Amino acid sequence: MRCAACVLAVLALFPAAASATPSPVAAWYVYGSSPAELASYAYSRGCQFARSQPGGGLRLLLLDFGAARKLSSGVWGTIDFSNTIVANADILAALEAAADGYHNCHVRGSVDIAYGNSNYHLSGSGMSSTDAWYAGYHQSERAEDLSDYQATKGYDSQTSDASSDMEPSWDAASITKQLVNGDAAQGWSLYYDFGSADGCPQSGSSDGACNNGWHVSDVGYVSYHGLAMPLPEIYYSVNAAQWTVMRKWWNANQVDDYVFAGVTATTGAGLTPTAAWNTLSSLNGGLVGSEVACFGC
Amino acid sequence: MLRLLTCAGVLCLLAVGAGIAAAVSRQDPLEKAAAVQRLASVATIDSNTEPAAVPASTPHPIPARMLDSGVPIPVAPSVLQLRNGWLVSDGRKLVAIYAGAAGDHPPTGRVVVVRQNLGSGRQTIRTVDARATGALTITAAPLGRSVETSAQTGRIHLRTAAGRALHLDLGTETLGSG
Repeated sequence: MRCAACVLAVLALFPAAASATPSPVAAWYVYGSSPAELASYAYSRGCQFARSQPGGGLRLLLLDFGAARKLSSGVWGTIDFSNTIVANADILAALEAAADGYHNCHVRGSVDIAYGNSNYHLSGSGMSSTDAWYAGYHQSERAEDLSDYQATKGYDSQTSDASSDMEPSWDAASITKQLVNGDAAQGWSLYYDFGSADGCPQSGSSDGACNNGWHVSDVGYVSYHGLAMPLPEIYYSVNAAQWTVMRKWWNANQVDDYVFAGVTATTGAGLTPTAAWNTLSSLNGGLVGSEVACFGC
Repeated sequence: MLRLLTCAGVLCLLAVGAGIAAAVSRQDPLEKAAAVQRLASVATIDSNTEPAAVPASTPHPIPARMLDSGVPIPVAPSVLQLRNGWLVSDGRKLVAIYAGAAGDHPPTGRVVVVRQNLGSGRQTIRTVDARATGALTITAAPLGRSVETSAQTGRIHLRTAAGRALHLDLGTETLGSG
């Protein structure tokens, strides 16, 4: 009976969210060499996403700009996958270019353009927990800036949010939580967690240990606290089992009910995108939204 | 009862279109509800019918380089326990190599190849396994500006955990001895 009304509401309004296997949409890791290249690259990704967007619903365009970083006093951004330092101002320009690209190539449906980063080696780069909080805060702020741009431009088929690949193996739970807290404090962006539950238990519902000193409750925090929403990596069947434990722990210990926005998938791993969604959905019937963000697709 | 009332009201679970579902947190339900409602209100047609300006596209090569541990890796730990990486781009195509062990089975040596066509946007991710070699480490690879295109189909030299030499042929994305 716990929140049966919620599930019924979803089933009634959006049957696809509870039953049908959704079509994946592409997500991208950003490898840049300059801010100008980033904008051009993001424009093309926005256009490509629009041209290939399946169905008429709202889909997530996820651009992962790399690890969150404090670049200098009062300046936040990322270090991307090619070791290029990218300030938030340049990321915003790239996101605006993605919005332009989506607009120019729009065919159907709508898009939520997400500024993605990760918790990769935050502490190792010299960032404090306060720095991580500001990283999340400014990430949400830039997403809101993008929304303002979309509104000003008349891009009514678009909105914006933030996201983070939060992996227990990459840094401690305490500093990673600050990304989520900063986002929540700024208050604009949903904060999609497209990370993992590395090393977490595969059965039960207890607050078991995960990798790097994390516990199930920590994964729950970064994926559902405040404005966080889980879009978990489901690369192998075991990942679906781990996230199911996560959901059960949350529901046994929190007042609200835990639902998944969908899944993050990849090529080059054990499960296809469709199998990833089906596997998580089979263990969490009616509680998995129909987003499938796929890297490498 | 509190849970039920919360969910049954405006703060309840909401899925949007065919893509995104969201829910409300009890910590600050109004905050999350506002974001969810924003998603639900997105239109499917732009009021602006004029095309936006297209940014200039100039190739920006990236000289072939090794990637140290400070550079983020896009590959999840569940897929790869990283030892080191390598990257090159000629401004049109990019190749990144990540070497290590399979995240789900560490005795298996693994290389992950990320390729990107910067024009088409196609980004592919492929894993190449080396059976029970233990973690693989890149020991030698083309470096510098002069190999930005040629290195994309060249050889990456690797070492197994036991010290045996292997190589990755980027032309075929296969592993061989020596």
